[in-house]
Amino acid sequence: MWSYLIGFTGFVVTSMLQMSVFSQWTILSGNADIVLLFVVAWCLHDRSKHLWLLVLIMAGMVAFVSALPPVFPILVYLLVYRASRLFQTRLMQSPLLGMLLLTFGASLLQVVLHIAYLYVTRVDINLTDALVQVALPSVLLNMLLAIPIHAIVREIAHYAFPKGVEA
Amino acid sequence: MITKLLTPKNLRNLVIILVVAGILFLAISGYLTPLFSFSVSPFVSAQSWLSQRYLAFSDFFNSPRDMATLRSENARLENEVAMLQSEIVALQENVAQSDILYTLLDFARTNPEHEYIAATVIGREISPFLQYIIIDKGSNDGLRHGMPVVTQQGLVGRIDALISDAARIQLITDANSTVNVKLQTAGVEGLVRGSVTGEISLDMVPVDTEVQIGDILMTSGLGGTYPPNIFVGQVLTMQSKQNVLFQTGSVQPVVDFTNLSAVLVISNFNTVDISPLVP
Repeated sequence: MWSYLIGFTGFVVTSMLQMSVFSQWTILSGNADIVLLFVVAWCLHDRSKHLWLLVLIMAGMVAFVSALPPVFPILVYLLVYRASRLFQTRLMQSPLLGMLLLTFGASLLQVVLHIAYLYVTRVDINLTDALVQVALPSVLLNMLLAIPIHAIVREIAHYAFPKGVEA
Repeated sequence: MITKLLTPKNLRNLVIILVVAGILFLAISGYLTPLFSFSVSPFVSAQSWLSQRYLAFSDFFNSPRDMATLRSENARLENEVAMLQSEIVALQENVAQSDILYTLLDFARTNPEHEYIAATVIGREISPFLQYIIIDKGSNDGLRHGMPVVTQQGLVGRIDALISDAARIQLITDANSTVNVKLQTAGVEGLVRGSVTGEISLDMVPVDTEVQIGDILMTSGLGGTYPPNIFVGQVLTMQSKQNVLFQTGSVQPVVDFTNLSAVLVISNFNTVDISPLVP
C-alpha cells in the first residue's frame, strides 16, 4: 500500500513538472516526457503484484489531461509495465540498461502512435519535419533524462521498498 | 659663622642639592636624553613583549566566542538577505503579472463589443506533437466548449475541453487547427493552418492574388468558429507552384506562444456548429 502511495505521489509531482516546466524545455520542437520516464523507472523498481492497476490509473490520468486519444497512453503504459516485468527477470543486474532500452522503445512507440494518429485524422503533416523537428529531439531528450530520473526513482525506491520486504 | 654653617651634615646636604640641581639642569637641557633612552629601552622592550603575550593569550580565550557570535550574526543576516531577495522576486513577479493584466484590461477596453474572462495559463500539453495549453478557469466560471481565446496581441485558439475549474485550449499552431482569415491589404480570404512544429502557414489563397510580404491577417468570421477582425499574424513568405489553384505562404503569428502566461476568453461569442451541413 505504501509503495502505491509513493508511486502515485511521484507520478502526480512528475505530471505537474511536465506540464509546467518540461513541456517548455525544447530542442527544436521536441520535448522530454518525464511522466513516461517516471512510469518506466517505477515499473523497473516496483515488484508489487498489482502494479498494473497503478499503471492503469496513471495512464488514465494522462489520457484525461492530454488531447491525445485515451487509448494511446493506456496502451503505451501497459506495454511498458509488461516489458518491465520481462526486464526484471532477464536484466536484473543492469537496471540502468533496462531503463535506457525501455525508454527508447516506449518513446519510439509513442512517436509512431502520434504520427499514425495525425495521419488517421487526415492532418496534413510533413513527415520529415515531424521526424527531424519533433520525434528525434524528443527521443534524444528522453534518453538524456532517463539517467537522472532512474537515479531519483532508485533513491525513492529505497524508502518505498526496504531491503528484504516485498511490497 | 661660616664654620658653624659648614658642618658635615649641612655640607652633605648642600652637595646633594647641587648634584640633583645639576642633574635636573642637564635633563631639562636635553643632555641626558640619550642616557635615558638607553636605560629605558630594555624596559620598553620588556613591556612590549609582555603586552603582546598578554594580548595573544587574551585573544586565544576571547576570539572563539567572538567568532561564534560573528558567525551566528552572519547567518542571521544571510537569512535576512535571502528572505528579502525572495520578497523582491515575488514583487517583481507581481509587477510582471500586473503589467500583463493591465495590458489585457486595455485590450478589453479597446474592444468593448466582447465580454472577456481573464485566465492564467497553468500547463501545457504533454505530447510534443500537439499544441495545447491548460488554463485555470472552467465551466464554473462561465466557460463553454468552443469559446475563442485571445491575448492583447491577437488570436490564441479556442476551448477544446473543460472541467469545472480548468480548460484545455487548442492553439492555432496545433496541426489540427484551421482559422479562416482575410488579408487586410489584398482583400482576399484564406486559411491559416497549424503544424506539428508549432508554425502556422497560409493556404487557400487564389493563385492570381498578389499578396504583399507583411500583409496583416485577421480572422474573417467565416465558419462561425472565431469572431471577425482579430489579429492572427503577418505574411512572411509566399510561394505559388505551377498548375495549382491556390498559393501558400508562411505566417509570423502576432502572439508569442512560447511565453503565454495569461489569456482572455471571449465569453459572449456563440460558436456555430456547421458539421451537420458538411456533406
